[in-house]
Amino acid sequence: MKLPDSLRLTIRNFKVNSDPGTIMFMLGLPTLYLLVLGFMYQSLIPAVTFNNINVSYTDFLMPGIMAMEVMTAGTVGGSMLWSDRRFFMFEQLLVGPFNRLSYLFGLILVSLIFSIIGNAIMLVIFYLFVGKLIFTTVGLIYSILTLFIGTIIFTSIYLIISIKTKKMQTYNTITIVLFFVVDFTSSAFYPITDKTPYGLRLISYANPLTYITNITRNTLVFSSLSGVLSEFLVLTIATVIVFGVALKLYDGVKPGM
Amino acid sequence: MDAISVNNLRKTYDNKKYAVDDISFNVKSGEIYGLLGKNGAGKSTTIKILSTLIKKTSGNVKILGLDINNSMDIRKRIGVVQQDLSFDLTSVERNFKIYGLLWNVKKELLKSRMEELMEIFDLNKVRKNNIMDLSGGQKKRVQVAREFLHDMDLLFLDEPTVGMDPIVRRKLLDYIKMRAKNGLTVLFTTHIMEEADYLCDRIGIINSGKMIIEGNSGYLKENFGGYKTLKLDLNGDIDDLTKNELISMNVNLKNENNKLLITAKNIDNIIPEIIKTVEKHGYNIIKLNMDQSSLEDVFFEVVN
Ligand SMILES: Nc1ncnc2c1ncn2[C@@H]1O[C@H](COP(=O)(O)OP(=O)(O)O)[C@@H](O)[C@H]1O
Ligand SMILES: [Mg+2]
Repeated sequence: MKLPDSLRLTIRNFKVNSDPGTIMFMLGLPTLYLLVLGFMYQSLIPAVTFNNINVSYTDFLMPGIMAMEVMTAGTVGGSMLWSDRRFFMFEQLLVGPFNRLSYLFGLILVSLIFSIIGNAIMLVIFYLFVGKLIFTTVGLIYSILTLFIGTIIFTSIYLIISIKTKKMQTYNTITIVLFFVVDFTSSAFYPITDKTPYGLRLISYANPLTYITNITRNTLVFSSLSGVLSEFLVLTIATVIVFGVALKLYDGVKPGM
Repeated sequence: MDAISVNNLRKTYDNKKYAVDDISFNVKSGEIYGLLGKNGAGKSTTIKILSTLIKKTSGNVKILGLDINNSMDIRKRIGVVQQDLSFDLTSVERNFKIYGLLWNVKKELLKSRMEELMEIFDLNKVRKNNIMDLSGGQKKRVQVAREFLHDMDLLFLDEPTVGMDPIVRRKLLDYIKMRAKNGLTVLFTTHIMEEADYLCDRIGIINSGKMIIEGNSGYLKENFGGYKTLKLDLNGDIDDLTKNELISMNVNLKNENNKLLITAKNIDNIIPEIIKTVEKHGYNIIKLNMDQSSLEDVFFEVVN
């Protein structure tokens, strides 16, 4: 039996990336955030209220953690392209039984797989140590689509960075800095409200992580659809644009030159 | 049928200079063909075009009977060892397994081929090591060995022996010969004449993107063998009169770092005459030595 080209590439990408460092980044860090940061802050923040519903801080935090998983998964595809170009596997695969498109699918698919696995494991940890989410059909569909689209937008962002940077040092610095900036300027750890300083609010709403977090949080934690559709539309449109840019830049990447 | 047929191939990267400039050659099925040339001659560019990595500027190329534009059909039937080292950032063994998966090699077959290649390329000692911890020569061995994991009709090898010690180098060349005996067609590049001589059925010498001459090594040796270069360190640059007198002896002259290089076939016989001529015109020989330059160096001296 012969697997399709892009699936074979995906399995390869998965195997190459399942090293302890990546696993730590994918699972260790979010677990630390959820359990340590979550429970520690809980003593400071007894409850978060939205639409007259009170939830614990850890419940509130969980969608933020899921959104972070999505962003981290996005780095996998981007980094793979970076190291494939740096170590000439890009050139090698493209004289092997693959074309550019299946190569690109391989990158996107491996990010999606990391996203799914990462979120599944975080859910298990959440259920074991923290609490429960609310699964309504509409909410579930919104969340799954959001996590999917979120993975695409972050994969695209990291593909763009990977195409645009030459030095390993630069790539690593940008991804690490971006990781923390995106995390902490989003709504992953705190609600963005009218009390949030205007500048920060602007930054936060220019940040895809905010939308991913808000949509999953509203549906899975507060069981509310208010504002969800518009945020979903913004996220989708942004993803289409960023993905388009990534495609365009990828098209300009000429192997062997 | 020819496995490779190249007609008037040209490639320019910058629209100023041709990296490959009107090259034509054919490689028969089952043949080992060597492209020989100095750094920058255009060997890698040729291989990159023929292996579908980059696009030609003009000319006609057929690989295994297929037009070069059918890249996917071609890629499935060729193997390529590029000049640049390429690998996944994991262990040697895992690199092999992943490569086998990418090429869809059946598990059992992959296993037996892997063991065989680990042995031939002397990689058993480092098979669990991460590629990053290997020496340059070891990495090259992994890259070359890996390519033999999958089936192919045509193999491109771009300077595959760089960094290998003489024993492994010889093993590789013998292994390639064996595979060619069993029907594999090979296009091999090198800048080492002896290697091409040992391995190849036919050799094409390229320089500045042009194919200068082609033939089997016997033919090349007969016509261009036996050349040696005499290096003279003189107390001044020679004048035209001396120059013409030397050229009339059927030698090739060149100035390099204030030294006079005189290249000719069977130069040993005319050395006394050369010395006499130079001294007759009032030059002192400060130092004299013979250059054991390789056949292809001599070839370039003569042709240029
Ligand atoms: N990507 C590139 N861009 C511009 N010029 C290139 C590129 N690759 C090779 N060249 C030029 O093309 C010529 C042939 O190079 P190459 O094919 O690599 O030679 P060889 O493999 O024989 O050493 C050289 O002059 C080299 O500088
Ligand atoms: Mg080269």
